[in-house]
Amino acid sequence: MDRNQLSKWIKQPGKMGHKYSLWAVYFCTGCGIIEVPPVITSRWDAERFGVMAAPSPRHANLFMITGYVSLKTLKAIIRTYELMPEPKYTVAFGSCPINGGMYWDSYNTIKHLDKYIPIDGWIAGCMPRPEAIFIGVTKLWMMIEKGAATGYVRYRENYEYYRKNQEKVLGKLEWPPLYPLGEKG
Amino acid sequence: MMGKEIEREIKILFSDAVIDSTEKNRLKIRIKKDLAIYLLEFLKSRGFNYLVAISCVDWIKEGEFELVYQIGKIDDPLRIMVKTRISRDRAEFKSAINVYKNAQTYEREIHELFGIRFEGNPRLIPLFLENWNDIPPFRKDFDTRKYVKETFEGIPTLEESK
Amino acid sequence: MSRRELELYFGPQHIGMVGNFSITLSVEGDTIVEARANPGYLHRGFEKLMEYRNWVQNFPMVCRMNVVEPDSMEMVYAMAVEKLAEIDVPERAQYIRTIVLELSRLASHLFGCWAYANMLGLDTVAQWAMAYRDFILDLFEELMGGRVYHIYICPGGVRRDLPQGFEDKVMNFLKALGNHVPEFDAAFFNNRLFYERAKGIGKISREEAIELGATGQVLRAVGLQYDIRKIEPYAAYANVNFDVPTREDGDAYSRIWVIRDEMLQSASIIMQCLEKLPQGKVYKRTPNPFKWNIPAGDAYVRVESSRGELGLYLVSDGGNKPYRVHFRTPSFMHGIPILEKLLRGANISDVGNIMISLYVVAPEIDR
Repeated sequence: MDRNQLSKWIKQPGKMGHKYSLWAVYFCTGCGIIEVPPVITSRWDAERFGVMAAPSPRHANLFMITGYVSLKTLKAIIRTYELMPEPKYTVAFGSCPINGGMYWDSYNTIKHLDKYIPIDGWIAGCMPRPEAIFIGVTKLWMMIEKGAATGYVRYRENYEYYRKNQEKVLGKLEWPPLYPLGEKG
Repeated sequence: MMGKEIEREIKILFSDAVIDSTEKNRLKIRIKKDLAIYLLEFLKSRGFNYLVAISCVDWIKEGEFELVYQIGKIDDPLRIMVKTRISRDRAEFKSAINVYKNAQTYEREIHELFGIRFEGNPRLIPLFLENWNDIPPFRKDFDTRKYVKETFEGIPTLEESK
Repeated sequence: MSRRELELYFGPQHIGMVGNFSITLSVEGDTIVEARANPGYLHRGFEKLMEYRNWVQNFPMVCRMNVVEPDSMEMVYAMAVEKLAEIDVPERAQYIRTIVLELSRLASHLFGCWAYANMLGLDTVAQWAMAYRDFILDLFEELMGGRVYHIYICPGGVRRDLPQGFEDKVMNFLKALGNHVPEFDAAFFNNRLFYERAKGIGKISREEAIELGATGQVLRAVGLQYDIRKIEPYAAYANVNFDVPTREDGDAYSRIWVIRDEMLQSASIIMQCLEKLPQGKVYKRTPNPFKWNIPAGDAYVRVESSRGELGLYLVSDGGNKPYRVHFRTPSFMHGIPILEKLLRGANISDVGNIMISLYVVAPEIDR
């Protein structure tokens, strides 16, 4: 470890700890689930990047949304995202969360995922290769270093906007709002 | 051969059924809707006890739905397709659940996606969709691109909403 | 529901779930009283979307229906279009299609071994299985350009010929996998732990299996030799020799053993095809895709995917787009009525065991 890294560890141990041990929630959401088992097993080992699969969302701080999102899955994703403790980061895989992708004219899938939960990073591909997933993880490290991975702060400050969009596509939601609505600041 | 025997017996018992046996290993029978369940019971009594699939086709120009039952036997390559038509405005039919037990799930799917009611099926609850309040989505008069434009693309992004 | 029953959600976010699928369980103590499958998390309305695109534009759509084994979906769509449009496929293309389908079946079975061994806790075997599957994906990448979605089998043949040296690479891979089989057997298939955890679990009888519409391994594990490659041969299967392995008991142990025996048969089929590969063209030209109208009619074709009978009912009205497409997928019957029946009276800790041994893949149910 060179002197530069060592000084970072001494000055900001919390941030370095967040970067180098991202625990991902084990949730197989869409098509991209076919490239996640190769990533977490022995050939393309993800644990050398510090990424591990955590069983419960209460223990995790990285949420990988692998592929397209249907309306029923969106409900499960919102509940899982709100259960995760802060600071939390989301990464979207594939071209379907960006603009609808191949199912742009389907009546049951979400076209822009960023309008419903905040996304920090996007990885292109259909499906992205394991190397692309690792490049995404290293870019996320750089974002955390600079303090630019602030999806959860955006969620807290604009909660009314997100909740309104969620209710427009899903109908009345059964769980109470996470942050109090109608309060400024 | 199994196909020829069955064809002869069906011609005797169901005189107004239209049979097409030009393709190898496939027997297509078109029958009126009142006699369809009786034909299924007759085929099951002859040993064709395996229901493979139930499909539905929406012929909107003729105003009818067509139900296609694919029946087979385990040790025979012959596949029998029983086709029957029902009216599009009064979309009801008798359930095949007393003849083939696994028809229940196929009828549930057709009820949700096409809107056909099957009498006698105790479990016609939604399978794939939740809170769906438009017309059944697989009908030909449901335009999915128009629905997407109205529902999803009217929502502004975060920067646009500020 | 009585007061002693509890409703649990074996929901989509669960460490024991492979794929996006949910089961609602009513449990009393440790025993399941009733189970209701809850699909629909992956419903895209595939069959509706395919009616808006013309015959050639539907290719990239079709393979995304079953992510674990996309080649059998491409094969069944190509066969249906060829039947309606009356196109003949050259001989070399049929052999190459057989090789690709069998490699895909091997990859899918290795994925199933990863899922099952991971669920049981035998992690070493899971890592081996996934690593060997990755070598098959390397072969696919060299032949077709993509690891997962290939878009290679199309009406008229296959899109390009085998590159130079490809046959040797396939043979080397099969030899390496064959040399590793005794270690797989010692660590997993002959393991006493696997026997204790899987024997007698999820037992289904022959009459129930036929009544509820089972296909594939579920039928072969109750003693019926039901394989569409033998009953109605397609591609080059009529020219190769292979067995159809069966077992008698019908429980999870038999189903996993049937999968293991099938993997050895697949390797033998690939080696025979490589020896008998004829020379010639691999593609027969089809008309301009924007002006290609197929005559009116309907057809039902079927192939043997790694999970069972995969069928397609295709209706054309004489235009340049399909009028109605209906996929008959094996997981539809395995995942809803059969799973609900087998879970009644089972223990909670066996839910993953029964579900993965029935080889249920969630995107196939919802389409």
